[in-house]
Amino acid sequence: MTTASLRGGPEPTARAAVVSAPAPTAERAWWGTHSAQRKIFGYTLLAPAALYVLLLVGAPFLFSLWLAVSDANVGDPVARFIGLENFRAAWEMDTFWIAMRNSVVFLVVAAIFKSLLGTSLAFLLLQNFRGKKLIRGLVVIPFTLPIAISVLSWKWMYDSQFSVINWVLSRLGLIGTYGSDSWPIWLGQPHLALAACIAVNVWRTFPFSAIVLLAGFTSVPLEVIDAAKVDGCSFFQRFRHVVVPMIFPILMIGLLFDTVFTLSDLSVVYLLTQGGPGNASKILPVLAYQIGIQAGNLGRGAAIALFLVPLLLPALFLVLRNLKRREY
Amino acid sequence: MSDPRPVPVKASVSRRRFLTVAGAGVTTSALLTMLDARQAPAQIRGTTLRILQWSHFIPAYDAWFDSKFTKEWGDKNGVKVRVDHIPHLELPARMAAEFAAGAGHDIIMNASSILTRLYYRSLVDLSDIYSQGGKNHGGWIPAAGPLVEVEGKHYGIPMFYILLPMLYRKDLFDANGLKAPDTWELARVAARTLKPKGHPTGIQFSQCADANLNWRSLLFSFGGAEADPSGENILIDSKEMREALRFAKALFDEGMTPEVFSWDDASDNRFLASGIGSWIHDAISAYRTTEDTNPDVFKNTHIGLEPAGPGGKRVSVSSANVYMIWKFSKNQPAAKEFLAHFMDSGKEGMTQSRGYNMPYLLADAQKPMPVIGADPKMQILQDFPKIVAFYGYPGPFTTPIQEVVNLFVLPDMFTRVARGQAIEDVMKWGVGEYRRIFAKHKRA
Amino acid sequence: MATQRTTRQKETRRHLLIYAGLTPFVLIAVFPIYWMLITAFKQEPDLYRMGNIPFWFNLPPTLKNFSILFYQTHFGDWIINTMTISAWVALITLLTAVPAGYALARLRLPGAENIGIAIFMTYLVPGIILFLPLSRVVATLGLQDSWWALVLVYPTFTIPFCTWLMMGFFKTVPMEMEEAARVDGCGQLGAFLRVVLPVSVPGVLTSVIFAFTLSMQDFLYGLAFVSPGDQKPVPVGVPTELIRGDVYFWGSLMGAALLVGLPVAVLYNFFLDRFIQGITGGVVK
Repeated sequence: MTTASLRGGPEPTARAAVVSAPAPTAERAWWGTHSAQRKIFGYTLLAPAALYVLLLVGAPFLFSLWLAVSDANVGDPVARFIGLENFRAAWEMDTFWIAMRNSVVFLVVAAIFKSLLGTSLAFLLLQNFRGKKLIRGLVVIPFTLPIAISVLSWKWMYDSQFSVINWVLSRLGLIGTYGSDSWPIWLGQPHLALAACIAVNVWRTFPFSAIVLLAGFTSVPLEVIDAAKVDGCSFFQRFRHVVVPMIFPILMIGLLFDTVFTLSDLSVVYLLTQGGPGNASKILPVLAYQIGIQAGNLGRGAAIALFLVPLLLPALFLVLRNLKRREY
Repeated sequence: MSDPRPVPVKASVSRRRFLTVAGAGVTTSALLTMLDARQAPAQIRGTTLRILQWSHFIPAYDAWFDSKFTKEWGDKNGVKVRVDHIPHLELPARMAAEFAAGAGHDIIMNASSILTRLYYRSLVDLSDIYSQGGKNHGGWIPAAGPLVEVEGKHYGIPMFYILLPMLYRKDLFDANGLKAPDTWELARVAARTLKPKGHPTGIQFSQCADANLNWRSLLFSFGGAEADPSGENILIDSKEMREALRFAKALFDEGMTPEVFSWDDASDNRFLASGIGSWIHDAISAYRTTEDTNPDVFKNTHIGLEPAGPGGKRVSVSSANVYMIWKFSKNQPAAKEFLAHFMDSGKEGMTQSRGYNMPYLLADAQKPMPVIGADPKMQILQDFPKIVAFYGYPGPFTTPIQEVVNLFVLPDMFTRVARGQAIEDVMKWGVGEYRRIFAKHKRA
Repeated sequence: MATQRTTRQKETRRHLLIYAGLTPFVLIAVFPIYWMLITAFKQEPDLYRMGNIPFWFNLPPTLKNFSILFYQTHFGDWIINTMTISAWVALITLLTAVPAGYALARLRLPGAENIGIAIFMTYLVPGIILFLPLSRVVATLGLQDSWWALVLVYPTFTIPFCTWLMMGFFKTVPMEMEEAARVDGCGQLGAFLRVVLPVSVPGVLTSVIFAFTLSMQDFLYGLAFVSPGDQKPVPVGVPTELIRGDVYFWGSLMGAALLVGLPVAVLYNFFLDRFIQGITGGVVK
């Protein structure tokens, strides 16, 4: 398989690479003769998807760019161009930087936990054992519940008085009783609030990471591992040199998709803490929502929300570069 | 606009059944008399009216409103009425979406966060029915006008407000020889006494609607003010504000646990219902929750007048509810007719809401008021219309105040102090936020 | 005999180790679910007592929370809406993402890589930025306050995701298979439809599952575009109608979450094998 066709995508194709290695000359002949026709065919296939996202994401996105450089307010149909004023104003807000920092912390910490939990779970599920299907079914449940509703359930689990988590910890003697200093107020203590939000996100999505990784593990061709065994590699060597490079791209893509969804989605933080206490768990989308919609400064809100994009771009490019480098 | 599917039979039947139970005690004849009092113009016949409002905390009220009140009015005037509900916190987002779309409902309700001044360019001037309503019902309470008035015109109809009185455990107070929390000082003494006995108090030190309301009640009762009557000048930088902050800090240290930092609007309800809380300052939904879930505690829970500040002043900041009509509405005459009729039915609304809705119209506020006038423990609520105020007091609810409220600046100031920041630092931060927001709106 | 026993012992030990390793995961994942299940059947007073054990009934269980759900809200409609919306979204996603994935993976179009990245990037644009402009689009098309609005907007995040997914699948299909089809006289379209697509069925199914799950994760769009009680999908209807002012209907909330979540989990588990098979086994079939 050629390198060109391996670029990008959740690329699980080690086996395919082994199986399909058509002679390059034959391939060129096959495609070469129908070049124009192939292009028309290809672009026709591509058009519906491209048009859909162009019209319903691209165009609104451009409109948001306009909002971000205007003084648009809700309820006021006339907006003036004010240049980068909204970005400057956001830049000067303390809260903006807190939200930026929290967003990064959220992103990184959640990603670390998700990959750790996801990898170990995937390894376990890779084994053959009785009841595997049942257990697999149980662990994917968090991912299948509608996010808004499961977050509300967590809100009740984190309740300052009736927290079921505290009840258990208290019975185990790990914390004091209600009203004592060691009784954690999950959503009320600054360091705990952000952690609580991250925990919900990790709980919801680590099964997904595990499934994606499981697919990745399963795709590592047995021949490759066997070959490594014959070469006398130890388990860890095999893991380090054979398995990791093969699953890494999948892990990255899975994480990236999930992270993007996590960060741009405001429901976890919005429904749990509204960004509180103070601003301790405020992340950019929540801040943008509060300023843009609740307080009505559409322009300022759009500007803040747009800061999410540069935050996500480096992640995207890192992943894409990685994918290219790891082709084989 | 696509025609939404009709409400399925099963749901509507059951809703109606639900309603029959809930609406027992309302005589149909009284309702018919009310309906006859007003004759709507013929041109609205055959139209459809769409209303968006919050989910009322009493499900029976929504059932009454959706399938009886609006339906009877609609049948009488030949108008098809549809009512949609979303939680009050999400109304601003929905309003922004309808504004951006230039389409949606005819009538839209605001709860707590009143956005009249943000949207007035896109709202219908309702001055005529506003003043007619006042004439018919003995005038408006003074705090009503500023909620909806922009440049001399009224862009909305204040329909009812929600009180947040003192709810306290009389049994605990009596057993410990404490006086009823008629002043903030007495409330603090009670909290100080009862916390060691396992019954702390709590007011939200967090970003939620109750925090915005409760801390303003405290501040204004302490003699503080938010903006002057012109709405132009910030009055937050005052001796009284500092005193209120100091008091709140002491109240927190002596009488609360850190859980108040995590509270939302519903937490104090549960706090009272669990039998832990000694007193809370909250809407009577907390009282009703307790009635339904913990009858023993409910029996001993009493309602008190807004506590007085050090100077004897009482100001109760309430959650306002206002109805508006979009300019893009294609059915403005019917919308106006309906709101006029709704204004005329204030007492019915009070009954259906089990005393939750409080009237802006003075005639409706006369004693005895429905439900609360008949319940010995709730009678005290009838004294609130004299002391009720809204955000921005004594000034009007202006656009900058709206932003201050929506960004929770004032509760954040109280929270920072409770967390141990120096009062002057907090004042500097808070006043800075107020100035920044006021300056931005002045420029625009 | 002796070796047999050691094998069995070894096997038992291996199983024990695996179960021990899995226990924390299962606990983390299932504990909240179990607790939600119990809560859904609890009477309200049972919730608001500090001394009560949260994991069991301290008062007799009740079906009241479910009767609220079915008789006092439009829960039945919400379920139907959710299913219909998801089905439409899945269909639209398949019709667009499958051909696009194929074109990007296989046809070596000039600029294919950049187009692929561009489609992927649209996934990066947060909903918070898009929902106001989109509400204009929705209103112009006359879809406001109808669940069709959500059928229109949900593909904005399912298409990028599934296009990438399908790209990966198509790349695993050996080129010789298509060549063989060509030799047999199939056109380009024929080769795609008759050869590549059939072996990619697991991938297609996976896309469908993702379209379903992603559709159920939205909250903001539903909130902004659909307000009539009978038009909402479950994830929007439940938080918007079971929180009233400052009162939460906990039991009904959790009952609703489980009633839609558990069937999806079962479906998901059923397709999981195909998902994994799609990547690994589909090729050699």
